[in-house]
Order: sequence, then structure tokens, then C-alpha cells
Amino acid sequence: MAAPDDEQFEEEEGAETTLALCSVGRKRLFSKELRCMMYGFGDDQNPYTESVDIIEDLVIEFITEMTHKAMEIGRTGRVQVEDIVFLVRKDARKYARVKDLLTMNEELKKARKAFDEVKYAGKDAVPG
Amino acid sequence: MENILNKDAHVLEQLKYDLNNTNSDSDGGYEDDDSTEAALAIEENILKDEFVRSKRTDHFLPPIKSEKIDTDIILPEASQSLAKQNEIRKREKSKKEMEEEEREKMQVLVSNFTEEQLDRYEMYRRSAFPKAAIKRLMQTITGCSVSQNVVIAMAGIAKVFVGEVVEEALDVMEEHSETGPVQPKHLREAVRRMRLQGAIPSGRTYYRSHFRL
Repeated sequence: MAAPDDEQFEEEEGAETTLALCSVGRKRLFSKELRCMMYGFGDDQNPYTESVDIIEDLVIEFITEMTHKAMEIGRTGRVQVEDIVFLVRKDARKYARVKDLLTMNEELKKARKAFDEVKYAGKDAVPG
Repeated sequence: MENILNKDAHVLEQLKYDLNNTNSDSDGGYEDDDSTEAALAIEENILKDEFVRSKRTDHFLPPIKSEKIDTDIILPEASQSLAKQNEIRKREKSKKEMEEEEREKMQVLVSNFTEEQLDRYEMYRRSAFPKAAIKRLMQTITGCSVSQNVVIAMAGIAKVFVGEVVEEALDVMEEHSETGPVQPKHLREAVRRMRLQGAIPSGRTYYRSHFRL
């Protein structure tokens, strides 16, 4: 279905994404992961393909809207973490989740850095 | 998913270990070996932090700062008296105790899961959006590059969003006393309800006229 269009673009992955953003002839970006996610959230072990499609469309619309809004606030034309945090400040669940993820990411980065320093410098060195 | 049926004991151990060391699910970018190593390194790092802190000359990472992220009010360091700092430290300790308690409760809960519940829980924790696809999607939209933190945040929020939609759809299904996989009609009704509540960002003026911000 999408094969003849792909040949016109240089990068196939970029073409997939652009195609996914058009409303006609969409290429599915998240089918496999979404199935697992829906099962995890309470759906049947084999969710309907139409349901998965609907949710994928919703997710892409969600990400698109968030990205557009984030580009308007803070530094225009760019998306920064602070903008995203600002956009979800009213939604308690999402706000807490973002804070958690960013904190965990920082801790993991610190841990990896510490681990690497220990590996290179020997176990007697104190990192930082 | 079939490999889980053959290794349920292993899965239980892995889940218990995950629960002990992390509060959030492991993202697709990190492999299992990495995250367990990293988790051990985090524990080590936290212990080292407390040991090294007394020897540090510049305190740009004071002990209280790690908790500041959770509170909305950020007090400037200079104006805090010693008494206040001690009070905050006591609250920190009880927060850690509460976290410990919560982890224990989760452990007890997970250890009593049936096979099916365990399976579903593992999918809940492990499923995630592929960071590469999200990054490509956002870069296609913005036209300029996005940092890794932004991708991490967006992937996490998108997962929460999916959860909200699916839960709402399950509620709708329950109201109609239907069972089985969620059908598109339930999803559409769920989305309609969420749009009314303003839980779905769409354009700009859809809900602003009805609700105050």
C-alpha cells in the first residue's frame, strides 16, 4: 500500500513517519507496543486491531498537540522539558509521572557515571 | 508472551527485584542487565553520597535538595534556619519510611497474584513506546531536533494517556455490561467523555470556553 510512495523519499524511516501523520494510508508506528500496553491496562490479551488503530491515532494526535503547544510557550520553535512539565501541571497523574521519570533518569545517569569511574580508576578512587 | 508461561518463578523473582529497586517501569532503552547493574550502582552511589558529603567543599547538592522536586514550594537555601532543616530532615526520613512501607505492601500484593494477574502486571510495567519512533515523530512535527529528556517525558506521558483512555473505555464497557476485548464504540464514547472534561488536548478553544483554567 505505502510501498510506491516510499521510493520517492530518500530516507525510508522519515517517509514512514510523514506517512503516519497523513490521515490517508497511514503506516502503523506503534502496533506491537500498543497491544502490550492495552493488555497491561486491562484490555483482553488480544485486543481488536481496530481498537489498537483508534488508540494509535489518539496517541499521535496527543503527541502532535502537545508538541505544538510546547513550541508556542517558553522558547518559541523549540520543545524543552520545562515546557512539557508546564503543560501537564494541571493533570496530577501525568505531572507526577514526568517528575518521576526525569528524577529516575538523573539518578541512572549519575549511577552510570559513578560506575564507569569506578571501573576506570580502580575501586579505591572516590567519584566526583 | 509464551516464554512467561515456562518461567513463572523467574518472572516473579525478576518482578520482586524490579519492585525493590525502581519505582517506575524500565524503559525500552535500558536492557535488563543494564538496569540491575545501574540499580545496584544507585544504591552504592546513595551510600557514597552520604559518606562523601561531609568531605565536599562545595555543597551544590545539599541533602535536602532531592526532596524538593516533590514539593511545589521551593524555599531558598539561605533563609532556612537550622531548626527548619532538621524538621525537613525528619519529614524526609518518614517519607523514606513511607516509601519502604509502600514497597513492602506492593511486594506482598504481587506475591499473591495469580498467573494471569502476574502476566498483566508485567505487561503494564514493561510496555513502553519506542523512544526512536517518538523522537522521529516529534522531529517531523517541530522541524528541529529534540533532546533526549523531552523524548523520555513525552513517551511517559503518552503511556499515561493510553492508560486513561483504556480505563475510561473499560468503564463504558462495564456500564453496558459487556465483556471481551474493548470495542471501538467503547473507545469512541470514552474519548467523547474525556474531551468534555478537557483531558484530551485538541486545537485550542475546545474546552476553554466552558471551564476556567
